[in-house]
Amino acid sequence: MDLWLIGELALTGALVGLMYALVAVGIVLVYKTSGVANFAQGAIAMSGGYATWAIAAFLGLPMWVAIPLALVAMFGFGMLVEHAVLRHMVGQPVIMIIMVTFGIEIFLRGFMPGTFGVAVKRLDLGIPQAPMFLGEMLINRAYLVGGAVSAALILAAIVLFNSRAGIVMRAVSDDQGASWSVGIRVERAIAVAWGLAGATATAAGILWGSVQGIDWSLSLLLMKALAIAILGGLDSIPGVLLAGLIVGVCESLATGVIDPLVGGGTRDIVASVIIVLTLLVRPYGLFGREHIERV
Amino acid sequence: MLLSLNNVEVVYDRVFLAVKSVSIDVGEGGLVALLGANGAGKSTTLKSVSGLLKPERGAVTRGEIAFAGRDLLALDPPERVRAGIAHVLEGRRVFGHLTPEENLLAATTMHGDRAHVKRLMERTFAWFPRLSERARTQAGYLSGGEQQMLAIGRALMTEPKLLLLDEPSLGLAPFLVDEIFDIIRRINKEAGVAVLLVEQNAAAALEVAEVAYVIDNGRVVMNGTAEVVKANPDVEAAYLGGGHSVDFRAVKHYRRRRRWLT
Repeated sequence: MDLWLIGELALTGALVGLMYALVAVGIVLVYKTSGVANFAQGAIAMSGGYATWAIAAFLGLPMWVAIPLALVAMFGFGMLVEHAVLRHMVGQPVIMIIMVTFGIEIFLRGFMPGTFGVAVKRLDLGIPQAPMFLGEMLINRAYLVGGAVSAALILAAIVLFNSRAGIVMRAVSDDQGASWSVGIRVERAIAVAWGLAGATATAAGILWGSVQGIDWSLSLLLMKALAIAILGGLDSIPGVLLAGLIVGVCESLATGVIDPLVGGGTRDIVASVIIVLTLLVRPYGLFGREHIERV
Repeated sequence: MLLSLNNVEVVYDRVFLAVKSVSIDVGEGGLVALLGANGAGKSTTLKSVSGLLKPERGAVTRGEIAFAGRDLLALDPPERVRAGIAHVLEGRRVFGHLTPEENLLAATTMHGDRAHVKRLMERTFAWFPRLSERARTQAGYLSGGEQQMLAIGRALMTEPKLLLLDEPSLGLAPFLVDEIFDIIRRINKEAGVAVLLVEQNAAAALEVAEVAYVIDNGRVVMNGTAEVVKANPDVEAAYLGGGHSVDFRAVKHYRRRRRWLT
């Protein structure tokens, strides 16, 4: 196996990993603000892809108009999910909340293809199909653009979390009662987190849609995103960035190196193995916060 | 009056009557202590003012609360903070994973002006120099006294007209209790912030307060200036640890008088 191939696999994996990580950002955002595990993120990404396609196809708008519109619409959709469903679940056991978000995932998985038809929708961002050569490495331009956009958005999320708005979100996740006592509008902060989760998921849905087309299988991004969120620590965005790279590279190398030996199919195992191993070895992930116990 | 509670009744879970009929007045710039035993309804009374009953499924079912001429019960908790009420909760409740600096910033959502926030921040650090020394460690690792200072400092970032303090001395070493009460007095005198103070440490509270209310079993059973309340033999026996007497007649007297006026 030559080094160029390994390099190509690793680089492609890293780019793909960043695109996965963009889906995970929404899970972390929501968890970090409200402590809710958001299992609907994969289907929200898929819905974002559908929304973009629908706006472009039915309204006949160019992509550069359709994309911002879809981002705004899905921001609203995220807030709607919080408002209509999760606000009423406050105080319920964790398992109920997980079930509700997962229910939303399954619902959207059926609803979107049901509404727009099951055929794969093409989303053309105008990225040239021809691969790019880096030495002897072949790099898919769609992944390159996707990885770069994802990295930029994740960095923006990190900046956001260190601004006052981000501090407020973290305060809400620490102690809702105390947040109320100092004038933080807790419900609004949580709704905004869901809105941002919707918008980032849509960005990911668009990027992935441009690579593989839009159909229900986009919602399977949930598995990768969960693996990344858990590995990164569930409440750390830098963790998402690093974990995304790890998951992407591992997956890509597994596909390139192990697949020929065992006859394929290792790609989807990687994410699940990472979830299980993380939970066994380091349950709070790479950067997750531990519960502070003052002695 | 800055704050006046008029015959307030609070019910939890629609069944449990925690506060029966409480009337309390806090004047502009006043320092009022609310004393009483465990479970007397002191914290509940404070929460009825700050609006934090809702997360605990409590509600004011009777009576009025007016603050600076406005009806408080119509406002939700963030609105009440914007009206000028800051509540320092029992047990300090700092944001443990945030640094002290971030704790203070989190309490400034009502201020749009960055320079103003910076001034408030400097004022708070000037009041609590110890916090500025530890401004970059996670607040969860601060000592109990430092956390209490942070909780008070955080509340002051909202620029309150009225500060509600719930057991600020809880679990602190005696010299820290003195320091905290000193700070409370300074905030009241220098910044002109009215304080409604809930305490089990009645001796310390009566040192700083001008007016005191004694609350027992969800009712105000006595009120007056701190001197008058302090001098009352029942308060002395019940809350100040005075009047240690094994004299049978005294015990009887205490029992008879503990029925108060109700």
